[in-house]
Amino acid sequence: MQRRSLVLVTVDCLRADRLAFEGYSRPLMPFLNKLAADSVVFSHAVVAGAPTYFSFPAIMASRFPLGLGREVLGIAPGEPTIATALREAGYESAAFVAGNPYLTSRFGYDQGFEHFSDFLDAGPPTATNVNVPVNGRFARLNHWLERLSSYTKLTAATYDEMYFRYCQWRSSREYLSLDQLRRYPAADVVVDAACAWLKERVDQPFFLWIHLMDPHHPYYPPEEALQSLGISHIDSRRARFLNSFWNRGDVSAARLQRYKREVMALYDAGVHWVDQQLLRLVDFLKVHQLWVDTVFVVTGDHGEEFLEHGNRYHSPIALTEQLIHVPLLIRGLTPTRVVPGPFSLIHLAPTLLESLGVNVPSSFKGRALWKDFSQGKQVDLPSIVECVESCNNQLSVSDRKGNRLMAVLEGDYKLVLRFREENDHLYDLKNDPEEMYPLPHSAQAKDRARLLQYARQHLRHTREDRDGMLELRSRFREIHQRFGLKSAPVEASEDRKIAEIGEHG
Amino acid sequence: MGTSARQLPAEVTLVSDFRSVRLPEELCQQAEHWLKGRFDSLEALITFALQEIVNDDACKLDEQEEEMVQQRLRDLGYI
Repeated sequence: MQRRSLVLVTVDCLRADRLAFEGYSRPLMPFLNKLAADSVVFSHAVVAGAPTYFSFPAIMASRFPLGLGREVLGIAPGEPTIATALREAGYESAAFVAGNPYLTSRFGYDQGFEHFSDFLDAGPPTATNVNVPVNGRFARLNHWLERLSSYTKLTAATYDEMYFRYCQWRSSREYLSLDQLRRYPAADVVVDAACAWLKERVDQPFFLWIHLMDPHHPYYPPEEALQSLGISHIDSRRARFLNSFWNRGDVSAARLQRYKREVMALYDAGVHWVDQQLLRLVDFLKVHQLWVDTVFVVTGDHGEEFLEHGNRYHSPIALTEQLIHVPLLIRGLTPTRVVPGPFSLIHLAPTLLESLGVNVPSSFKGRALWKDFSQGKQVDLPSIVECVESCNNQLSVSDRKGNRLMAVLEGDYKLVLRFREENDHLYDLKNDPEEMYPLPHSAQAKDRARLLQYARQHLRHTREDRDGMLELRSRFREIHQRFGLKSAPVEASEDRKIAEIGEHG
Repeated sequence: MGTSARQLPAEVTLVSDFRSVRLPEELCQQAEHWLKGRFDSLEALITFALQEIVNDDACKLDEQEEEMVQQRLRDLGYI
């Protein structure tokens, strides 16, 4: 019997609440909402880590982000992944990754793929930095004003604001379209490349992984997506201003709030564009008679924060639901149903392999749950989410040697352990879905203790079950790269990309 | 990185106890070819690699974090 193919779509920064079945009012993803009716939908899918570099080891290799130690970046050389398992089972495979510098061959993500496009050589961005004169009369006047304004908080803030506005004015003199401002290929470009590969492939089951970056900051969605959502008042100049303001580190949350709705509109348009392009991809699969025998999966690698807890983007400084709760739907498996309760993406790869009848590598830490789901069994496993707190650039050795930040979820409860501060907070997500009110330390002692036991088991397993050989290979790979064995242009393009899209994945 | 050749660390040059190890000649030649411009000598390369491996601060953090959770459970009276 011919095996079914697999299409795995991962979307960077995709919050679960952007889908209508998760309660969002703006119709951002009409196609996915429709597809959900024909899919297995996980109503509380959670990543195993955030951001991208802490999330993807679980998605691809069913391994916790710190499972090989904090020194290991990406997928270890020779580490079994869903791609290598499918390749061994005879699948043709290709990956199209929209320019995320942490998901490249440098970090082992090409393992198992016959074709791997990371779009990092798509050319330098056309956006230019503002060049403010550093010498001359203007510079002297500027320094004088800056010194003068620093005497009081109010004048300093006024000066900062005026200087920011001046820089915006200077940069806006050069008109750049949204397409020119975007730092990564939009979903249509990636889907085009994937469709071109699909056309060329021979007749056997395939595994296609597509990673889309449209909701990732800086938020420059295609104009067509803005129009489709009826957002007419934000042009490229306004988008540039909004992104610049949103990126400021010198303003209060209250001032950022003023622009939150517009920034979210830009983010939403990126999400909407993903939906439109996924519809196009599925239409292509249908036209080429590939849809019926394909399992189609859509999920996110982490969410995005818009000041709900005072934070922006997706920095690993908190494991809030906005950051760890992602959509997950699997179309092509029956019976369709909604799976309630937390479901960790650590189980995704083994579950998919089981559903395709492919052997699950023994190194996978997640469980193959397909049989349980297909038999309608209730599965309520504790979910662990972990990262290194404040590790905004995994390439930085000092960044990645920080303390763990961990969340344990089971049923309605979520325990967040902040090791740096040696504290833990328990939340009742049913009654407090926004995680605004941690339960008193005296409350729910049994539930707290149970989640702590899970955390303890996880830490013990992480330490005792670590695959030393994979860890060693991975560390040697990094030493090779640090000492320039790999070709410099590739690394340069990755480093440039990290600088362009900002750090934290 | 790697613009100047890495030498044996000062603390190693001060050490009086050394151990001789047997390595395949061909492998050493390949490594010497690779290390040109990166390391001063084969000893510097091997010392660096071994230091990287044994210097596992992260493992200590894992242990400390596990101990913290155990302490929390003790505080709650569960172990």
